[in-house]
Amino acid sequence: MNYLPYLSLVLPNSVHGRALAVYIIGALLVGAAALFALVCVPPRYRKIIVVAVTFFGGLYFSLEFLLPHQPIAGVPGSAGVARFANSLTKAKPNVADWAMIIGSFTLLLGTSNLFAVHGRAVKKKTEGWYNSLAFFITFFLIMIFGFLKDSAISSLGPGMAKGVQSVATSVYSILFDGFVQNLDATMFSLIAFYIVSAAYRAFRVRSAEAGLMMGTAAIIMLGLVPIGAWLTDWLPSAGPLASLRLENITYWLLTWPNMAVQRAIEFGLAVGAVAMSLRIWLSLERGSFFDRQL
Amino acid sequence: MKGMTDFANPAVYVVEGLLVFFILWKIFSARRGRDLFIRRIPGLSVLDEAVGRATEMGRPMLYAPGLSGLDIIGLQSMSIMSHIIKRAANYSTRVIVPLCDPILYTVAEEVARDAYTTQGVPEQFVPEDIRYLTNEQFAWASGVVGILHREKVATAFYFGYYYAEALILTENGQIAGALQVAGTPAITQIPFFLASCDYTIIGDEYYAASAYLSREPTLLGSLVGQDYGKLLMIGLVMLGVVGVTLAALGAHLPGLDSINHFFDKYFLQYFPRST
Repeated sequence: MNYLPYLSLVLPNSVHGRALAVYIIGALLVGAAALFALVCVPPRYRKIIVVAVTFFGGLYFSLEFLLPHQPIAGVPGSAGVARFANSLTKAKPNVADWAMIIGSFTLLLGTSNLFAVHGRAVKKKTEGWYNSLAFFITFFLIMIFGFLKDSAISSLGPGMAKGVQSVATSVYSILFDGFVQNLDATMFSLIAFYIVSAAYRAFRVRSAEAGLMMGTAAIIMLGLVPIGAWLTDWLPSAGPLASLRLENITYWLLTWPNMAVQRAIEFGLAVGAVAMSLRIWLSLERGSFFDRQL
Repeated sequence: MKGMTDFANPAVYVVEGLLVFFILWKIFSARRGRDLFIRRIPGLSVLDEAVGRATEMGRPMLYAPGLSGLDIIGLQSMSIMSHIIKRAANYSTRVIVPLCDPILYTVAEEVARDAYTTQGVPEQFVPEDIRYLTNEQFAWASGVVGILHREKVATAFYFGYYYAEALILTENGQIAGALQVAGTPAITQIPFFLASCDYTIIGDEYYAASAYLSREPTLLGSLVGQDYGKLLMIGLVMLGVVGVTLAALGAHLPGLDSINHFFDKYFLQYFPRST
């Protein structure tokens, strides 16, 4: 049985015009009612609700991943399981949208935190308060011109509206392409300088391990630049001695010992993530907010 | 149907099933009071020293969860943050937490408030110390760098997911004279942390941190279960190495055909190799 058509009656893929407004108001009302209901629940039952929601949320993704999506020949009932699994997969974008909606609401909370921190700095004129003032100015400038460049203000008349849009697009372009993008690139380019200072500290040979790392790093650096290839150019490019060419040693170091260690770390991390996910899914997690009486 | 489900072959069921079994078995056996050992992790043992340093210097500490969102990595970071704030609260030391993800920001605020309340000092919680900066990578990095220098941070913790901004933060931490402790599941950033931080925890030590700091039986049991899981992985890798080696030798030694057929039918075909 495909459950998606029934879901589509309540949650269609796209709505426009008045229906869209009805859906937005409806969603807000349902959300407010759900929040109110959760607040009204006695604290000792609230935790049960959280545990249940977490469990069913985890169950959804587990089943979606683990259930076979193709019928298995000779296994009775597998066609039904496959249909159910496929309907779970089809509903995945809708489920993922919930995270985006929650994220949108928290963005408002984040912005209010920014306003509180910088508002206090401006009000009390603390050290560097002008930076906080710059935050407010740029925040409102980019917001206002961002809206203006994409909106047609019909009450101004076609000529005026077009002019406003053109000016807004130019100002927005100066703010975004001129400031934000370039400042971003500036921060990124600083890494080149920081790599040098970090490498200087890392390559000080203070122990046998540090010496080994220094030697390996020197080989890899040489192997990746033309001068490295030139240094061992006299060795034959084929045959047993070819593996001693610097570029080949570099390739071997990166592909075998380095990759093996990276995969070992990845294995450990994956198992750790499985354990953590399992604890959260089954509400076994302890510490921080997990074992607190809600 | 295309998608993630392509990977859910019988090997996934067996390996995941065994992993889950080991972890749950050890969690419940630890809860029954079984004493479990956890080795020393230098990066986490230094926590008291780090808090003490900030307290003696009368400067704040910084806890940066990187670009983590509300996922397993972010939640683990929040768990570590909670322990650090609890230790700091005992000495009335400020902890500044700059965040990049708005969802994680709301969680971090609750975790910090809860940590101070648990230690009996709810009045020490300052909402403005849990700061949402921006969700832009390098804008966030420059914001954290600003905090490192302006607040003259004595100790900086970097626990979470990091990209290219890792080195920018830690090098500025060095310039600011902060004692720096880092841990990340981002393999590409571990070398940068090793080069520029005083202590770095590597790999799955990141997920062991909360168990190490809290000594909570459930978490310790889970950690031992993870180790059993890793032994399983090592066993499978060894079997794979033997199987693939025998397959390569099979071309020269026809006597290995039956063994290779057995390996291929019951093991190797369930672990397809990427080229």
